[in-house]
Amino acid sequence: MTGSKTKKRKYVAQNQKSAYLFILPSMIILSVFVFIPLIASFVISLTDMNIFMKDVSFVGIANFTRLFSDNRVSNATFNSFYFTLLEVPLQVGLALLLTVCLAKNNRYCKMLRSIYYLPFVCSMTAIGIVWSMLLDPNMGLVAYWLKQAGFQTVAFLKNPDFAMPTVIVVTAWKGFGYTLTLLAAAVLNIPQSLYEAAQMDGAGSFQKFIHITIPGIWPTISFCIITTTISAMQMFDQAYVMTQGGPLNRTETVVQYIYDRGFQTAPYDLGYASAISVYLFVIVAVMTFVLRRFVLKGGEEGDA
Amino acid sequence: MRKKWISVLLSAAMCVSVLTGCGGNGAEGQAPAGDTADTKQEQQAADEQADDQAAADTASGEKITLQFWNVFTGSDGDILREIVDNYNKTNTDNIEIQMDIMPNDQLQQKLPAAIATGTAPDFVLFGVENIAPYVSNDSLEDISDFWDVTGVDKSNILENVLELSHVDGKLYGTPMQYNVSYLYWNKDLFEEAGLDPEKAPATMEELAEYAVKLTNPEKNQYGLALPTSVTYMQFLWANGGDADDPDTNTNLLNSEENVKTLEWLQDLTVNKKVSPSSITGPEADTMLQAGQIGMYMSGPWQINGLRAQGINFGIAPCVAGSAGAFSPAGGCSYVIPKGTEESHKLAAYKFMQYWLTDDILKEWSQRNGFPVWSKTLMEDPEIQGDEVLSAISKATEIGRSYNLGYSLASQIDNDVMIPMFEKVMTGAATPEDALKEASEAMDRVLAQ
Repeated sequence: MTGSKTKKRKYVAQNQKSAYLFILPSMIILSVFVFIPLIASFVISLTDMNIFMKDVSFVGIANFTRLFSDNRVSNATFNSFYFTLLEVPLQVGLALLLTVCLAKNNRYCKMLRSIYYLPFVCSMTAIGIVWSMLLDPNMGLVAYWLKQAGFQTVAFLKNPDFAMPTVIVVTAWKGFGYTLTLLAAAVLNIPQSLYEAAQMDGAGSFQKFIHITIPGIWPTISFCIITTTISAMQMFDQAYVMTQGGPLNRTETVVQYIYDRGFQTAPYDLGYASAISVYLFVIVAVMTFVLRRFVLKGGEEGDA
Repeated sequence: MRKKWISVLLSAAMCVSVLTGCGGNGAEGQAPAGDTADTKQEQQAADEQADDQAAADTASGEKITLQFWNVFTGSDGDILREIVDNYNKTNTDNIEIQMDIMPNDQLQQKLPAAIATGTAPDFVLFGVENIAPYVSNDSLEDISDFWDVTGVDKSNILENVLELSHVDGKLYGTPMQYNVSYLYWNKDLFEEAGLDPEKAPATMEELAEYAVKLTNPEKNQYGLALPTSVTYMQFLWANGGDADDPDTNTNLLNSEENVKTLEWLQDLTVNKKVSPSSITGPEADTMLQAGQIGMYMSGPWQINGLRAQGINFGIAPCVAGSAGAFSPAGGCSYVIPKGTEESHKLAAYKFMQYWLTDDILKEWSQRNGFPVWSKTLMEDPEIQGDEVLSAISKATEIGRSYNLGYSLASQIDNDVMIPMFEKVMTGAATPEDALKEASEAMDRVLAQ
């Protein structure tokens, strides 16, 4: 008896060892690209260090006190939230709306879903360049059409008030196809019998959408909201390519300001840039935490 | 037992495949240049090994391979490559230069890290405004012995050009090119607007007057392009104003003269709308080449593009205000990163010496339209007979150094001057408010 027990235990232990071996590759990659940089930036944020890495000194929380009196940090934080609060509902809402029409597996719907997915495959840099050329008030096609149609040319990316909304629309245009694909797959997984039962009870299509579709795909919706929010808070490439943070820093996001301090403006202050990264990390962590609780709770209510 | 071995093998295989597969992906997301940097470093390490051998055998005429980074991404880079290739073929010292061109912001990200880790190239060519920050971080070699080692005649080079490569009296680079901003004007557009196509504006009043005449929104044509991503020191100086004094760390922004200049600038851009709003430098370049811009202030690098597009243009010095005419000077120098070994440093000296010969300087000036600063070359009849070059030489006389050799220069530009000009030119703030805000920002930068 005892012999077989130890054997079994040994077998389990061995199995666990090989399980660790299997997660080793991911662990190495995660450590090199996520954990080590994360810890490093916490440490660097407490030092006075520039890109030359000479004369590094420990300065405590000086970088953080500086951060809270820097009006470009507050401006960038405002812009990041502005972007996130408009972009996420737009992207997820648009995808949800189209899901209703396109969640069928016929050829027409499949083709449209593929077409909407296409921009997501392209790099943001290429998309940014193309859109800034199209929207250019002096040489762009859109400006030309507007002029032909008798409207006044709008300097979409050059006008301080229009620049951010334009970046938001372009980002949503690029990303909604991805969200749509995820949502459509989830909708197709809802058992048809539920809809049939609802029909028997006399539910209309709107009621079916609210009471069956939404609760049925709620986990997917919350996944989309959380991932889109995180990537929106880390927005960088679209504004970097299309507006360089301008005009008047109205599209400068937190990540862009980090890049500017660390790599664009001498004395390439890595310590301060890392302090801003830590600040952003805390914001994103808190937001994710709150969103998860709130969104998942919403799902439970929906289920009930 | 067998199962265990299989699992070990499998996970090892996964490790390898995932790692190799991810090398590219990870780097791509994190930093656009990371991927190439890695391979380059490897390549460099390999080269260095080879180089060490080469260095040991230099006496017997073994090959020396020099790594050379620069920022010449434009059409001038092709000409530079030709000259370097030609040097590789013809030099008798068995030196081979391997040239690597990259955009400036990429170079600024890679070079400091490369110097810190001992993997820097043997010599670098970049804008003189970078020399001071690198020197203050002890990242460039002092090459004050260049003249003695190579025997190049220092007195043949214009003093103000040479000054740009000095920090605290020590030489850190040898001049490669020198330039100021000129006023370009489109002669055809001048003629259409009823202006004399051979006469450029000489004063700020004339500039404003011509700009208004040349502006025609119907045709998408603008009198004077004023990009928002740059500084306009020439206007501040013209009226007797200034930004700061790098020698004494003083803020000179708050002055009547500056208010006057900024009011003039705001009137031009906001009320008279002579410039396309909020354009960037590259966009203004394109519009100038497309014949949509009447006048534009820029460096010599416009000339080849304008010639290629067949624009009928003229070059004049920047306009004068009540205190005279000035233009911010700039240039590029060859520098040697700290830690370059002696034999490679001497080989780089040989190439710098080659560049400073009149033949090469002449070729560079003539093909790119850069001003001449070698005294013997200025006497050259061919140079004197060149219409564009003589116009440029005249426009270069008003060159004035702006914060060169000052380690806070880039911060002053990015955090104080560019935002101030942008606010004034877009009408986001009154000149007084913009100046007040900029002056406070300047105090913060100078206090560091």
